[in-house]
Amino acid sequence: MTDILEAAFAILIFPGGLFALALGLFLKGTDRKVLARLQRRVGPPLYQPVLDIIKLMTKETLIPSTANEVAFRLAPVLGLTGVLVTAAVMPIGGVWSGVNGLGDLLILLYLLPIPAMGLMLAGGASSSPYGALGFSREMCLMFAYEMPLIASFLAVAVRVGGATGSLLSLPAIMDYQFQHGPLLFDPVMLPAALALILFIPGTMGSGLFDIPEAEPEVIEGPLLEYSGPLLAVFHLMSVVKLVVVLELAVALLCPNPLVAGGGAGVLANLAWHICKCLVLLMVSVTCFRAATGRLRLDQGFSFFVKYTSPLALVSLGLAFMLR
Amino acid sequence: MLQFLSKLAPRSPWIYRINAGSCNGCDVEMATTALIPRYDVERLGCKYCGSPRHADVVLISGPLTLRVRDKVLRVYNEIPHPKVTVAVGVCPVSGGCFRDGYSVGADIDHYIPLDVIVPGCPPRPQAIMEGVLKAVEVWRARLEEGICSHS
Repeated sequence: MTDILEAAFAILIFPGGLFALALGLFLKGTDRKVLARLQRRVGPPLYQPVLDIIKLMTKETLIPSTANEVAFRLAPVLGLTGVLVTAAVMPIGGVWSGVNGLGDLLILLYLLPIPAMGLMLAGGASSSPYGALGFSREMCLMFAYEMPLIASFLAVAVRVGGATGSLLSLPAIMDYQFQHGPLLFDPVMLPAALALILFIPGTMGSGLFDIPEAEPEVIEGPLLEYSGPLLAVFHLMSVVKLVVVLELAVALLCPNPLVAGGGAGVLANLAWHICKCLVLLMVSVTCFRAATGRLRLDQGFSFFVKYTSPLALVSLGLAFMLR
Repeated sequence: MLQFLSKLAPRSPWIYRINAGSCNGCDVEMATTALIPRYDVERLGCKYCGSPRHADVVLISGPLTLRVRDKVLRVYNEIPHPKVTVAVGVCPVSGGCFRDGYSVGADIDHYIPLDVIVPGCPPRPQAIMEGVLKAVEVWRARLEEGICSHS
């Protein structure tokens, strides 16, 4: 019974649920504000994403007459539920070590594509040609960016497993880094860290990889036919997904807490964790988005296959040899 | 609670443009408000969106030509309530310099209720932004009165 309550707390309040939503909206607002300042604009207020969500909640929901209504309504809910569960599994260094028995890289490999699946379902169900285009683009890009993700997961697992004996457990990976220093500063893991950082804009569709939801090309693809509260759920899904991928990269590369111990130390560690997420957001999403334009789908695909995957594979090979 | 929300909701006006046979002059000015840092509309919470289903404020430019009339009405009906319409330039209200043309039918306000009119040929970007702000006022007033029921 307590297990169920604990899991419900993790999914609904902290570190998933309310906490992930609040952090995601804050990160999204910061992203938009900093992007505007980089372009010498004033930019929207920091709480603009919250206003957007409130606005969408007051709007009418339109469903195309040719759409599959059940799938159309189900897709955003499915995506949001998926990312909330993923956010609940994410450990935070010095604050939260994950739900017992759930913090596992293999489970993450299954949970991470759920938001993309939600978008694909939406694109397919909306019966719009642009939705179908977005669907196929999302799927192609997903095949490309999953490759470096799996390779860098394996590299981390081998590196940590060689030392501790437990291969895929997230708590073991965190413990290893608490003892041996962050993997980000491990020369063997540096290529895999780079691959993981390039995975973030790929899965968030920003900068070079704004391909599935390219507004000038496929008019936001799968989201084209969505309006009102359903669109709001998709926006919430995307902000929680941002939190999930940033927290994943922080947990794998640099989860070390600021101070040890409980009490006020937990709050300090939480603030430290949010700072790390912000820095990663600036590097891998905001500045990346400000500095680059969009690639074609085939270019985006081959970018991950040609350049990002080999980086992670180099780390994997080195980790194997130094085991 | 609802009153509080109706105060907050209009602070995120998403803009959709409809070109109803415009000469592109007004559209260039609208692009100016979107793209040039000096007239940054995003600081008002605006976002130009590609899909009519995401829109709150509709900017219509150009005289309603016979050729696009039905398509404009179809796109307009795809915008979810509550929506506010802004006519950009003199063409939507009077036909402008195209008013006696063979391809121009009745004025837009015979088909679509116009809430704000931004005159000019073309209007300056500042005028367009003021038009958007006036549209936000109209939207807020409607939300408070509860006129815009989802019917």
